Amino acid sequence: MSELRNILEESVARVFAEQVTNEFLSSVEETGWPQELWDTISELGIPQVLVDETRGGMSGTWADAYVVVRRCGYCCLPLPVPEAILAGWLAERASIGLPAGAAGILPHAVPASNISGDTLTAQISRVPWGRDADYFIGITTAQELVLVARDGVDITGEENLGQDPRDTVTFNQTPVVQRAPINLPADSIRWLCALLRSAQIAGASSRCLEIGVQYVGEREQFGRTLSRFQAIQHQLAVMAGSLATVEAMAASAFRTMDIHGIATDGRDAKFEIAAAKCRASDAVEPITRIGHQVHGAIGFTYEYGLHFLTRRLWAWRAEFGGSGEWAEYLGHIATQQGGDDIWGYITN
Amino acid sequence: MTAQTDALRFEPYELPQTLASLRAEVRTFLRAECTSFSAVHRSNSWDAYDAAFSRKLGERGWLGMTLPKAYGGHERGPLERYVVVEEVLAAGAPSGFHWIADRQSGPLLARYGTEEQKRTILPKITAGEACFCIGMSEPNSGSDLASLRTRAERSDDGWVVNGQKIWTSHAHQANYMIALVRTSPATDNRHEGLSQFLIELPTSGITCRPIKDLTGRAQFNEVFFEDAVIPHDALIGTEGAGWKQVVEELAFERSGPERYLSCYVLLSSLIDVIKDDASPASLRKIGSQIALLVALRNMSLSVAGMLNDGKDPGLQASVVKDVGCSFEQGLPELAQEIVDLEPTLAGHGIDYQQVLGNLVQLAPSFSLRGGTPEILRGIIARGLGLR
Repeated sequence: MSELRNILEESVARVFAEQVTNEFLSSVEETGWPQELWDTISELGIPQVLVDETRGGMSGTWADAYVVVRRCGYCCLPLPVPEAILAGWLAERASIGLPAGAAGILPHAVPASNISGDTLTAQISRVPWGRDADYFIGITTAQELVLVARDGVDITGEENLGQDPRDTVTFNQTPVVQRAPINLPADSIRWLCALLRSAQIAGASSRCLEIGVQYVGEREQFGRTLSRFQAIQHQLAVMAGSLATVEAMAASAFRTMDIHGIATDGRDAKFEIAAAKCRASDAVEPITRIGHQVHGAIGFTYEYGLHFLTRRLWAWRAEFGGSGEWAEYLGHIATQQGGDDIWGYITN
Repeated sequence: MTAQTDALRFEPYELPQTLASLRAEVRTFLRAECTSFSAVHRSNSWDAYDAAFSRKLGERGWLGMTLPKAYGGHERGPLERYVVVEEVLAAGAPSGFHWIADRQSGPLLARYGTEEQKRTILPKITAGEACFCIGMSEPNSGSDLASLRTRAERSDDGWVVNGQKIWTSHAHQANYMIALVRTSPATDNRHEGLSQFLIELPTSGITCRPIKDLTGRAQFNEVFFEDAVIPHDALIGTEGAGWKQVVEELAFERSGPERYLSCYVLLSSLIDVIKDDASPASLRKIGSQIALLVALRNMSLSVAGMLNDGKDPGLQASVVKDVGCSFEQGLPELAQEIVDLEPTLAGHGIDYQQVLGNLVQLAPSFSLRGGTPEILRGIIARGLGLR
């Protein structure tokens, strides 16, 4: 593991563990955007992990970003830090400088026809933390990266199961403040957000397992701790196996981004990204089921806080394409290649 | 991350690009070789015994790849071997003759064998001329291996072995057995007093009786030892240290490409059956399994990387085997959900039906050989700090 990655993982883990407690998560559900934590994270430069050092970033790799994004999931971080990391990377690719503040990511390709002159008119749903964004960033079907002003947009607040904002943003001749060609497929944001979610699912799943292991070591029934029961041991071992598949696939997809990137044609990281999101989404069922089962009723209470993880897992599983969509993509590749050649495709 | 889940970490490990040419070379060779094998034969892959084919692999330098050159090996890295094994399994090439020797007996002997054992045996392994079997299980010692009772007693003529092994694959065809037996009486620590021996087959006093399995084939055996005398220098490693050596040996066994590729011929024939007219639901089912296969491959590679770096991935290897086993046992079921054709016996129906028929019957054995899920999950639970 690289030096940067170790330092990043340790510092991010420390800050998150200190700040993002269950009480904190409850309070954010009531009061919304935690500005102080956002400022702390911004000052540490975490959103700039993929930005070049010459522009104030860390010159990190996607493999470095993986440990940060995974940790965001692990802590249920109620802030769009994964999205900010992506925004930083996109801006670099288009040689655009980002303004200060939080980026609202437009999750789908924006039809080029919605841009007229230098304004955007469109209604876009499920924008993470749209209400708190200082500007919006998206890719058009004409492969342009656009930066859209915040002023004058209309926002309808909605949340996902994890109570994180997923807002509908209505742009009405809203100024496009910067635009530049970007050599990426128009739907890249969807692909890359799916990649981010796979890492967040890995993180949250790993925490679920840890909490479960801790709980069964403390809780006693029939005169012994639950951890002494083989039925419980085996359930957690199965959960650990599911978790391992998620982690291994997600980490590999991030690494493949470093090697091949994402492209309009040719070998790129799409196959691995699809496999990572598909696997992560498929694993949410056993992980949340076992995670809750070993806790008994206490895990179902609001106060205990397991739900901060599991509600997000249920939301992330479907965000940016659930298992079905990504599996269908992989299935198409398999049938196009045929039984013999799919192996060559996997090992290429 | 706590220490417990940290122990379950799978660092990504990429095969070096330099191995691409080796892979291509092996693949080209196998394409030509395997055209003569039927699909149902290929679905037996690492169980199918074919001495001639193993010799051909040996001639090309693809067996015993990691063994020292001084003993006929090639001193290539474990990752090069990994690539060869992947290709051999994906092609369904018959590997039963050399499988045990190449995977575990060769490395075990290279590490613990005497100079004489290494000098005489390792060259045969690399040439594909030595078939090994594993003498571990006994009638009353399955998962509880340390309870085994076959014993070897030192005499002037050599070690005198008495007892019985069972479920010993290929024993009736093998040239050698590596047997784990008791060399001193059981104490409170049952892991003490066990030793490994290299036993030539046939040897007077050793009788193999093949056991017919549910498919009608007889691949595994009962092996009886009745005052069988084996030489003093048949001992492998240290007398009494057999348990430690076996545990290391099993780490080789638990995490290789065979953990996700032993049903690959079924997956590929399933894809071919539906490829021209696949419903979205079928595509989803197949795609989901491919994601799991690729995830398992990444896990297995990660373990190979840890072995390459001299780390001890015993826990991760158990996870690979447990998850891999569920995956492989699930494939015949998945196939039947997607294509509603009857599984058939060899020689009847289309290739896909024959492969399915074979693997439906073999699938129960996947979770019995080399550590059951019950044992593996116990190991994983211990790694999680639960026991």
